[in-house]
Amino acid sequence: MSRIGVFVCHCGENISRTVDVEKVAAEAGRLFGVAYTCDYKYMCSDPGQNLLKKAVAEHKLEGIVVAACSPRMHEKTFRNAAKAAGVNPFLCEMANIREHCSWVHEDRDEATAKAIDIVTMMVERVKRNKKLQPITVPVTKKALIIGGGIAGIQSALDIADSGHQVVLVEREPSIGGHMAQLSETFPTLDCSQCIMTPKMVDVVNHPNITLHTYAEIEAVEGYIGNFQVKVRKKARSVDMAKCTGCGVCMAKCPQKKIPNSFDKNLGFRPAIYVPFPQAVPNTPVIDRENCTWFKTGKCGVCQKVCGPGAVDYTQEDEIVVEQVGAVVVATGFQLYDIGPKPAGSAIEGYGEFGYGTIPDVIDGLTFERLASASGPTGGKIVRPSDGAEPKSVVFVQCVGSRAREKGISYCSKICCMYTAKHTMLYKHKVHDGQAYVFFMDARTPGKGYDEFWRRSIEEEEAVYIRGMVSRLYQKGDKVVVMGSDVHIGVQVEIEADLVVLATAVQPREGADTLAQKLGISYDKYHFYSEAHAKLRPVECATAGIYLAGACQGPKDIPDTVSQASAAAAKVMTLFARNELEREPIVAKVNERFCVGCLACRKVCPYGAVEEKEIRDRSGNLIKVVAYVNPGVCGGCGTCQATCPSKSVELDGYTDEQIMAMIEAL
Amino acid sequence: MHTDKVKHDFEPKIVALVCTWCTYAGADLAGTSRMQYPPNVRVVKFPCTGRIDPVFILRAFQKGADGVLVSGCHPGDCHYMAGNFHARRRFAAFRKLLEFVGVDLSRLQFSWVSAAEGGKWVEMVTELTERVRQLGPLTEFRELELAEQWSGATLTTPELKEAYQAI
Amino acid sequence: MNKTARKYESAALADEGYWTSVSQAIRQEAVRLLEQGAVAGVVGYIAGRRTGTAMPVVAATPDQAKELIFSPACVNNLALYLTKAKKEVRAKGKLAIVAKGCDLRALAGLLGESQLKREDVYIIGIACAGVYGAHADRSQPLCDATIARKCRECTVREPTDTDLVAGTLPALPALEPLEAQELARLEAMTPQERWAFWKEHFSRCIRCLACRQICPFCFCEQCLCDRNRPQSVETTPRPAGNTAWHIVRAMHLAGRCGGCAECERVCPMDIPLNLLNRKMAKELKELYDYEAGLTPQEKGPLTEYKEDDDESFIK
Repeated sequence: MSRIGVFVCHCGENISRTVDVEKVAAEAGRLFGVAYTCDYKYMCSDPGQNLLKKAVAEHKLEGIVVAACSPRMHEKTFRNAAKAAGVNPFLCEMANIREHCSWVHEDRDEATAKAIDIVTMMVERVKRNKKLQPITVPVTKKALIIGGGIAGIQSALDIADSGHQVVLVEREPSIGGHMAQLSETFPTLDCSQCIMTPKMVDVVNHPNITLHTYAEIEAVEGYIGNFQVKVRKKARSVDMAKCTGCGVCMAKCPQKKIPNSFDKNLGFRPAIYVPFPQAVPNTPVIDRENCTWFKTGKCGVCQKVCGPGAVDYTQEDEIVVEQVGAVVVATGFQLYDIGPKPAGSAIEGYGEFGYGTIPDVIDGLTFERLASASGPTGGKIVRPSDGAEPKSVVFVQCVGSRAREKGISYCSKICCMYTAKHTMLYKHKVHDGQAYVFFMDARTPGKGYDEFWRRSIEEEEAVYIRGMVSRLYQKGDKVVVMGSDVHIGVQVEIEADLVVLATAVQPREGADTLAQKLGISYDKYHFYSEAHAKLRPVECATAGIYLAGACQGPKDIPDTVSQASAAAAKVMTLFARNELEREPIVAKVNERFCVGCLACRKVCPYGAVEEKEIRDRSGNLIKVVAYVNPGVCGGCGTCQATCPSKSVELDGYTDEQIMAMIEAL
Repeated sequence: MHTDKVKHDFEPKIVALVCTWCTYAGADLAGTSRMQYPPNVRVVKFPCTGRIDPVFILRAFQKGADGVLVSGCHPGDCHYMAGNFHARRRFAAFRKLLEFVGVDLSRLQFSWVSAAEGGKWVEMVTELTERVRQLGPLTEFRELELAEQWSGATLTTPELKEAYQAI
Repeated sequence: MNKTARKYESAALADEGYWTSVSQAIRQEAVRLLEQGAVAGVVGYIAGRRTGTAMPVVAATPDQAKELIFSPACVNNLALYLTKAKKEVRAKGKLAIVAKGCDLRALAGLLGESQLKREDVYIIGIACAGVYGAHADRSQPLCDATIARKCRECTVREPTDTDLVAGTLPALPALEPLEAQELARLEAMTPQERWAFWKEHFSRCIRCLACRQICPFCFCEQCLCDRNRPQSVETTPRPAGNTAWHIVRAMHLAGRCGGCAECERVCPMDIPLNLLNRKMAKELKELYDYEAGLTPQEKGPLTEYKEDDDESFIK
């Protein structure tokens, strides 16, 4: 390529004040291959761009160097202008003589000399630039949602309503997640199940949603628009097609004393069970660890009583393969456990609170089950130890959260509000009871939130004590709470009937393993990382994977639903087109010279490199070479720097271009 | 902060090989913040430090650079997740090799400069420029470039010398 | 090169019986494999025409296999014959190979770099006492004076992960580690002295590229250093290009080279090339606790990373 135009911008006076732009243009004109140069006050303005287009036409320019600001500022502008003028946009480069030159140097001669060097380097580069065409990747218009809590349900419904297919995978036997466990929700105190269960039913009835419950993600391969997902459907031991959900099996199961984890182990369930009466799907599963048939080979009651003959002890795990174009991760949270520190964990338990051995010290979610009308007590608030009605309840906030010494420094965000809600629910049910709250700060930003909190103090008479709790211990049938009131500077001791700890919100166990399968990044607590904290809060850095809900960080229901809908909108944006267009800065393998050592595959952070067999016409294997999938390649070029024979080259940053720049010095 | 410029006898040539996401952006920030630094540096932009082949460093020295600065994202900040981790090992090995061959490593600086560290960029460029200015020109590679004798044969006779000069 | 006068012992390191028994074991196995048709050929050594020499051969018939030997003259790294650079050998089908420790380390590297599949090769490992150095007086037996420098500090005499081991290792005396001493001497120099040392050596290089041709890891179909668009390394044998060539080569071998020192042996200009490779191996061992070629490894030290790798050299 030999007809290059160099356009030197004054940027008002930003460049011309320290750089002699006319001299730069004149010197550039002496470079071999430069056919046209000029300088102009504002190259990025409309007249400036028109000047460029006109010059391309008049001088038959084949390459363009705009010496102006940083390419991070206006590369797109000038590449679009080049495209409009009929020049491949990748033959247009910017020489940064503002941020890297005129703004950082004062000496006019030195700055001008440097600007000439910068322009020379870019001219040499452009001579070796190749025309590149945008890459298109087909898009499978089907989304995978991982997690069937409110986040996953919202995303699934939004995407399905837009007319696209959705696969929803839930680990538990029923969708619903934590929201199904809650009693009432702040700040309106409407019943959680009343607003949640209709949505759960919508999911199962939606023609565009395929629901896999009691299932986990086994493996994920592929890339944006083209993921292959293996889902392991755990053996339910009940045929979903035959089961009518009549519940006779559950009623007749002789093994009835299994703590119900949905009720935070306050109640019991049989070995064949649905987690809660409103479960979706309403098909029981057999808990094989506790089932007498699976433990001893004797019993078989459920099979005998099942009218449709749905109980099947021989069922095995099934692997379902789904082809999807986008993934929404909505795996939610779990509550921090104050028990002793698990091996290998950086997070400490609370020895001063008895490591969770005091029966009347419970966490917030357990309180939700106690207060829930569909809970094990039918909504009656009682103490776990003796079933008595607690007359004084102490709520302790920031247990685990904002506790650097315990290994967690973040704020769990939802506890201030739900503790306020708990004091109200308590007062509504135990009119003569007294609620105390130990708190560090009340964090109540949100519509109607602060008013709600104030109400718990002013109308529901909760006593808020600013200070930390240092110790909890059993004394008779009471739990003694030792704390401090920092406002009046005294030690406080309260003999409580029940203590509720607002424990920290943590990512689900196994969040890291799932992230590794998906190839997404996570922080030190295992919350998933968004691509940009402010501007891309629902996307992962890995293209085609989106985040919704508390798996990304602690969130309340409104925020979770908003993010879930946002993730759905991102998926729909992706699905709005049949093909995905991306910048062609990708690596390509020279199959003639590749010897297939696959060092490139070893270093590729995207898993974009595959093996490719080269065969002759009769099908004999000639050799195995590397192949870079352009849809997956992120364009970092680590492969090229690693390849000993440089048989893989990153378009737009080839060795030839870079060597030319280095040699131009 | 206008200071009187000191004229130096020797102005080193510094080549900076930087990644576009962090250090290039950091250098942009130095510009938008109107910080000042020696004009000796010439920047070559890469997508990622992972793309930077040691051959480029070698080539820069051979083609007249007196100092080379290689800079990218801090570990964990790589736009491509792991490019800078691979680069870190590659450079750790390469600098050992250069050292063994007898290259003065104070002419080769590696750094992590994030997009927010305009000040650090200025510091890196200034430091390296000052240091290399103290060291003087990198003569070793330049002498090699000029050296013509091979196989131990030298231009001993006047006839040979004359013939050689005439080429 | 350490030219200081030093008295070498001339007592044989291994008796004649050792060499004969190894040769016997190789022949026996090679004949069996070929007669059974288990392999299409056996890569090994036969005696050269002059006494005290040997040369590589691909024995394709039992009769040819009866000629196979092992002697101190079996210096070549036979792994070379299984690389893609030797397509005609690979085309024969499944092969057996006679492998010293050096050859084994190269084979392990080739396995790790997808150049070879373990099931496609039958390895006859040798309990190796050592081989002649480049300028050894081959009328003498293998002794302190004639043994190759690399063999003096060999750590892989006993082969592992082979299909068969030929011979048993005689008791060997500890030999003075000349190469390690030379490396230490260089490391103790100032950069200027080292530059002078290498400049002298590299200036003599005639760029015959024998080092590349003999290297089992230089299996690229197009060497970076032969490319002219862009030209990364000058191709003419001038000091500048020579220096670049040897630096690039050492960098490309870093973390891969098994230390067979064939490059140094074949160098007509006696450039101590293995020092570069030894140095890189030593650094990578110190930095990342990696040693090339002990077992086939999925990733080398420069194709993997740890998040807490040393970065004390980065500001």
